[in-house]
Amino acid sequence: MSAIRETADQVATLGEKYKYGFVTDIEMEVTPKGLNEDVVRLISGKKNEPEWMLEWRLGAFRRWKEMTEPSWARVHYPKIDYQNSSYYAAPKANPKLESLDEVDPKLLETYAKLGIPLHEQKLLAGVAVDAVFDSVSVATTFKKKLGEAGVIFCPISEAIREHPELVKKYLGSVVPVSDNFFATLNSAVFSDGSFVYVPKGVRCPMELSTYFRINASETGQFERTLIIAEEGAYVSYLEGCTAPMRDENQLHAAVVELVALDGAEIKYSTVQNWYPGNEEGVGGIFNFVTKRGDCRGRDSKISWTQVETGSAITWKYPSCILRGDNSVGEFYSIAIANNYQQADTGTKMIHLGRNTRSRIVSKGISAGHAQNTYRGLVSVHPKAENARNHTQCDSLLIGKSCGAHTVPYIESRNPSARIEHEATTSKIAEDQLFYCTSRGINQEEAVALIVNGFCKEVLQQLPMEFAVEAQKLVGISLEGSVG
Amino acid sequence: MLEIKDLHVSVGGKEILKGLNLSIGAGEVHAIMGPNGSGKSTLSYTLAGRVGYDVTGGSIIYKGEDLTALPTDARAAKGIFLAMQYPVEIPGVTTINFFKTALNSQRRARGESDLDAVSVLRLVRGKAAALKVPEEMLKRALNVGFSGGEKKRLEILQMALFEPSLAILDETDSGLDIDALKLVADGVNALRAPDRAMLVITHYQRLLNYIVPDRVHVLSAGRIIKDGGKELAHELEAKGYEQIIKDAA
Amino acid sequence: MTTRAASPNPFLEDFAAHAAELPGVGQPWLDARRADAIKLVRAQGIPHRRIEDWKYTDLRSALEGTNDPGKAPSVARLRNAVEQGIEVFEFKGDAPKWVVDGFGVIGIDGTMSAASFALAQSTIALHVPANAKPAKPLEYEFSGQTRLLIVVEAGAAVTLLETPIGGDDSFSNAGIEIVLYEGAKLNHIRTASNAASAIVLEDLTVQVASAAQYRAHFMSTGTKLSRTELHVTLEGKGAEAHVSGVSVLGDGRHADVTTHIVHAAADTRSTQLFKDIAGGHSRGVYQGKITVAEGADGSDSRQTAKGLLLGVHAEIDLKPELEIYADDVKCAHGAAVGDLDVESLFYLGSRGIPEAEARALLMRAFLGDAVDEIENADIRASVWSKVEAALAKATEAKP
Repeated sequence: MSAIRETADQVATLGEKYKYGFVTDIEMEVTPKGLNEDVVRLISGKKNEPEWMLEWRLGAFRRWKEMTEPSWARVHYPKIDYQNSSYYAAPKANPKLESLDEVDPKLLETYAKLGIPLHEQKLLAGVAVDAVFDSVSVATTFKKKLGEAGVIFCPISEAIREHPELVKKYLGSVVPVSDNFFATLNSAVFSDGSFVYVPKGVRCPMELSTYFRINASETGQFERTLIIAEEGAYVSYLEGCTAPMRDENQLHAAVVELVALDGAEIKYSTVQNWYPGNEEGVGGIFNFVTKRGDCRGRDSKISWTQVETGSAITWKYPSCILRGDNSVGEFYSIAIANNYQQADTGTKMIHLGRNTRSRIVSKGISAGHAQNTYRGLVSVHPKAENARNHTQCDSLLIGKSCGAHTVPYIESRNPSARIEHEATTSKIAEDQLFYCTSRGINQEEAVALIVNGFCKEVLQQLPMEFAVEAQKLVGISLEGSVG
Repeated sequence: MLEIKDLHVSVGGKEILKGLNLSIGAGEVHAIMGPNGSGKSTLSYTLAGRVGYDVTGGSIIYKGEDLTALPTDARAAKGIFLAMQYPVEIPGVTTINFFKTALNSQRRARGESDLDAVSVLRLVRGKAAALKVPEEMLKRALNVGFSGGEKKRLEILQMALFEPSLAILDETDSGLDIDALKLVADGVNALRAPDRAMLVITHYQRLLNYIVPDRVHVLSAGRIIKDGGKELAHELEAKGYEQIIKDAA
Repeated sequence: MTTRAASPNPFLEDFAAHAAELPGVGQPWLDARRADAIKLVRAQGIPHRRIEDWKYTDLRSALEGTNDPGKAPSVARLRNAVEQGIEVFEFKGDAPKWVVDGFGVIGIDGTMSAASFALAQSTIALHVPANAKPAKPLEYEFSGQTRLLIVVEAGAAVTLLETPIGGDDSFSNAGIEIVLYEGAKLNHIRTASNAASAIVLEDLTVQVASAAQYRAHFMSTGTKLSRTELHVTLEGKGAEAHVSGVSVLGDGRHADVTTHIVHAAADTRSTQLFKDIAGGHSRGVYQGKITVAEGADGSDSRQTAKGLLLGVHAEIDLKPELEIYADDVKCAHGAAVGDLDVESLFYLGSRGIPEAEARALLMRAFLGDAVDEIENADIRASVWSKVEAALAKATEAKP
């Protein structure tokens, strides 16, 4: 049994509704609440960052102070007090770790609960994990095997120190510092995240995986991920997210940048299960994330797959800039909102190059009192000869008090381009439920089965083992939504 | 096996079954025949426990237990199977996965352990060949894009798989050509067993040439108005419903 | 509040200049509603592209040119009304109850509808009696700031043919309120302005009672900036709205059709079918929003928007939006932008049809199903001839 399979199985053992709602009791170092230049300096100092990085952060912070929070999304939440959060939290005593034996056993226990195979004995099993616990990367496994292939996979804080030329060249090149309110905030205060560099012609020998977890209370998490695939390179990257159950709302504002050069391919999959809040809508993560991929080279490809079941609020539009001729962008999404969750998520496909192609498959499920919005832009610029897009956008409603919304923007400026958009809205049919129950399947399982069928096109895009995890997650997320 | 007494059922506030009595013993095959609107489908849905079919009077005793309060899935676990007139399409859910989920749900409800995917596939394969259900069909989404005949064969395949104590066949012959009808009937006949009862619901006598019943009941306006042996089906075919109903009145 | 001095609002100036001469002035109910409307204009300002609903149509920058709303003469002409038994009120003397109940009550939400209500010097209200079925279409022509109220009583059926007549550099802003009572039916056809440099705005608000039906067709050839904004509320069980339109745009033209259909009651139906062809430097915009309110079970809503671009300087923007709060609904929308089908062109070519002709044929076919939605055969034929002329212009424009 592979470790990754074990991960999936562990996650699948469902004791409680939100199984990740535990808090790990280890000593944390947390900066005082509030955000100012000193805090930015402190974060940079903690990371032993070079001067240029500090300047970059300060520049971002100054821009951010001038910006206002966006309000166009169909999400409602009380005003966030950015001075009432702490911007850095790390397990105490964090010397550079030489081997996993030096990691705090309580941390390892946490990861075991999360089902992340971190132990040395499991390393052969097939997945490289960069685990981000609150603000620091704790340990990165598989380094050696990846190193042999020339792949760099490390915490971004380490990359800033060890590979400054790469970071300088690419950081902020896809999501500019002043791109939007949350991305700019992230640029100022990001504490850690992953860095991946796949050299020319290299097919990354394994799936790369990161697990994010928010543990400390009253902290925000601002991770930053940068993935570069050189000419002809290939990499598949997975991230999973969990957080403990807390009454207050916690902010998560990540930035992910992908760069695919000529003929390169990046596949980025997310299973997001941040704490969604309780049945009354109290607590939960505010997930304001900027993810963007740049198909910078000819014949490059970037594929986003996301399964979004968690968070009180999700604000997220993983996008592709199709700059290189013949480049391909894909977005496969399942977004489930139950109870009082609000999701406003979708994608942007910006066709700049000739013969660029994009495909969007979005499956939105609303239950309880949730509001679920697909918001997507397909934009074809005048030089994007023969651009092609196909969008399929399906919404499923479960119950009478939820909402499902579709807001596509189609902007075409090239006559040879072809853009097609289709959207449907439906509910689980009573006769489908009856058919299932008449064969002995209970109501809740029947809902999970039907919804999984509805999502199948997207689930198929996930690596096999994660598809199993995701399917289970679909079922749990909708518990109590029918009858 | 099944004892229905003075059953009254309303759908959307309208009474459809008005005091129906029926008794079926283990190993027996009964046929219910009746004109459109007589309550045939209401009876089959009521036995399966479909929401919206409200039992307003009488009782349904199955193996000594009153079914009326049991939810649909619990009835299935107790061995009641309904082969539907219009099997439902469920996009994205493969047929084999559906079979596995249903089979294991029933096993779990009975306190048995789950079968793994390989065992389920082996089990299904063995039974699918006889019904000419190709393996490729099992990998497709349940009933989606299947022909009428294919859908009905899958219903009988599920019956073979779940091995129910009471099988209700609702208009299984509708939409089938003669070859498909034979195939389905052979499948049903192969499942006749001393510990299994069957209730065949049909409009036409045709199906009963292939699935020969022990008893035939005529349903009209929510009541059984006439009982008889298999020859009653032929009498119906010869005289027509109208005459039989008139005679019975 | 220093912004007012920095960017003068032409509508406010207009109001100040004409306030005393507006029709019906001095009637307290009307004065009060006008005051509210002007408050709204002041609060919201001139729409510009940073406002989500006006993302693709920047009125503020268009107004910086020659089209001065304050100077636009207000004209409204109506034919075939009185002689067909339709009651017409032109705001002389006390308003009848049906005017007080409807005028300025349902159709004021954005700046432009508020502006036309508060500023219109040409103001007409129409009342179609119950079960009346006038044979001839009502003809309505307008330019400048105008306001029209149409009340169609139960069981009546009427056709409205509407044409903007402002000349070059003119500014028009028409506000129309329509109330359809039980089982009433309105066939509404709006044809295009011929003035290339005009700004033509229109804001329509329609209330549809149970079993009533609103059918509309918007034919547009675009102007410097034109926008038709439609708000329909299907208020009663079984109410229906069927809206279609074609925009055929030559060089320098801009046409925006923005719709919002609200299914507020059970078993309501709506269909929308819009086709845009954009040639030269032009921009076709369709924004269509459908809302199904909580409890509007059994609603059925379909929406199709398709665009055809003829060159690299043209742009088509489509935004078909669904907002669903009920689960027992059938809602689907489709949108597509592209070129003429290569296969079809080849097929026609292989039968000896020259390419230009083949293209024209396919373009007519592309537009055909939307134009065919017009029920009145005479009007359909006249719209077709305008479409033909616009097509010739759109295709002759340099790509």
